[in-house]
Amino acid sequence: MRLAKLTLHHFRNVGFAALECRGRQQFLVGANGQGKTNLLEAAGFLTALRSFRNADNKLLVTHTQHTAAMTCVLEHERRGETHVTIKVRHESKELWCDQARVTKLADYLGQFPTVVFSSQDLQLVRGSPAGRRRWLDLTLAAMDAGYLRALQTYSRALAERNALLKAGRAVDAELAAFEQTLAPAAAQLIAGREAGLRTLGALLTAAYAKLCDDAEPASLGYEPNFAEADAESLLVRLEAGRARDLQFRTTLAGPHRDDFHFTVRRTAAKDFASEGQQRSLVLALRLAQAAWFQERSGVRPVLLCDDVLGELDPARRRRFWSAIDPESQVIATGTSLPDAELGAWQVFEVADGAVTEKVNA
Amino acid sequence: MTPAFEKLQKHLKQLPGLGYRSSERIALHLLVEKPAQLPALVTALEEAARAVRRCTRCGNLAETELCAICADERRDRSVVCVVEHVPDLVAIERSGAYRGSYHVLHGKLSPIHGVGPDELNLAALRARMESGEVGELILALSNDVEGEATCHYLTEHLPASAGSAVKVTRIGFGLPSGGGVLYADSVTLKSALEGRRSYS
Ligand SMILES: [Zn+2]
Repeated sequence: MRLAKLTLHHFRNVGFAALECRGRQQFLVGANGQGKTNLLEAAGFLTALRSFRNADNKLLVTHTQHTAAMTCVLEHERRGETHVTIKVRHESKELWCDQARVTKLADYLGQFPTVVFSSQDLQLVRGSPAGRRRWLDLTLAAMDAGYLRALQTYSRALAERNALLKAGRAVDAELAAFEQTLAPAAAQLIAGREAGLRTLGALLTAAYAKLCDDAEPASLGYEPNFAEADAESLLVRLEAGRARDLQFRTTLAGPHRDDFHFTVRRTAAKDFASEGQQRSLVLALRLAQAAWFQERSGVRPVLLCDDVLGELDPARRRRFWSAIDPESQVIATGTSLPDAELGAWQVFEVADGAVTEKVNA
Repeated sequence: MTPAFEKLQKHLKQLPGLGYRSSERIALHLLVEKPAQLPALVTALEEAARAVRRCTRCGNLAETELCAICADERRDRSVVCVVEHVPDLVAIERSGAYRGSYHVLHGKLSPIHGVGPDELNLAALRARMESGEVGELILALSNDVEGEATCHYLTEHLPASAGSAVKVTRIGFGLPSGGGVLYADSVTLKSALEGRRSYS
């Protein structure tokens, strides 16, 4: 996929911007706080109608306005030229695809893939399990409509079961009614995560080897909260957990407590890896995500690099660049232009929310 | 605006589907634009409130003890189609494919919304099952988490008809996921009823 044109209205501090992208390398240059990342955030919004900074809708709309709007013209491997319009209001979002309104998450999630490389990604190694689960769920759901359905069913059935537990009037018969739906959805999530992490892990091992000369193998490991993975045993586990769940007024165990970890040389990266290794791990994870997406769907994600090139030392930067699929479009931000060896960029200057193309950069 | 006007508007706004603007429009229409129609509307409301109630057997709308369907001798009482709401029943009737009787639950299990078994029209269904007249139960509930849970609950916690096992079938697998009976067209409903699967 290639983003050929991006137009924004009232998106954060950007009153109006129109970027016509030529070729496969765009660089947004400017001092910090001028709005470079806001433009990347808008491009990334396309994938799952959410901000990669996890920002609330309200923050995305310029504060004197009701609606932020973005229009993208895409060159898409499967759909050809596609026009997508997104409107964000405080309480709602709207997506239009070639003049048709799209209302179901399943109908657009994964259609327009972007992969974001950001310094915040370090949290995927160091941060809480919730952040890793969110990343994993979004990645798998974008790839597999069955996984998305299981995730939606699981979340809903879990919320209903928790409402029973919270009300403190939970009766076995009612708990059982929701567990019957919860258990098969849980089994599907566990199977999907297990298979997904195995594939992503293999791709990450390959990407990490390209990023780091020293041959230290890196991998991903799944930490399921339930060791059992079939619906029958999960049903038994849920039933056995009722007394404790009632005491704590919530469902204590299940895939909503799953986690995964990164390893380098077979040891947990969270505690033992150096900062440099951790940075390489998250870059490798994003490269793995992009490669997997392309393999599965035949659509090449647009790579959005938020300040990443500037944070790497020249040697790592060179290796990162050579690990990227040369056919991918890369839209990058930075406070200064990258070295000439990374190729010729189309450069846009960003200052106080205004974007101007810099000719003869 | 006047205090009485605002009071009326407040009540209208509580009706399903009405927001501030639409309730204001209706109040203006009734009081100022077409006041001549108002007495007839008030009478109709009062009459309906007096006359319409739930059928004691199935929960459908009725003006006597039994609704028109339960009172109809030609309907097969041994087959009972369980639906969430009255409009679901109307949709199935319109498909013309069904000659059995109904049972309206007036909801589905949803602890989030405070709906448990006691909030559903289950006692009357239990009584029908215990009487032994029911041979087949068709569950026509929505194809979502709450619909599923309600189906599980019904199959586990309804008494079997005295002597013979009740056949339980489920429709809804051909219905749009997450949607209810109400949103399916007649052809879909007809094929869903004909292709119902045994459920346990
Ligand atoms: Zn009746």
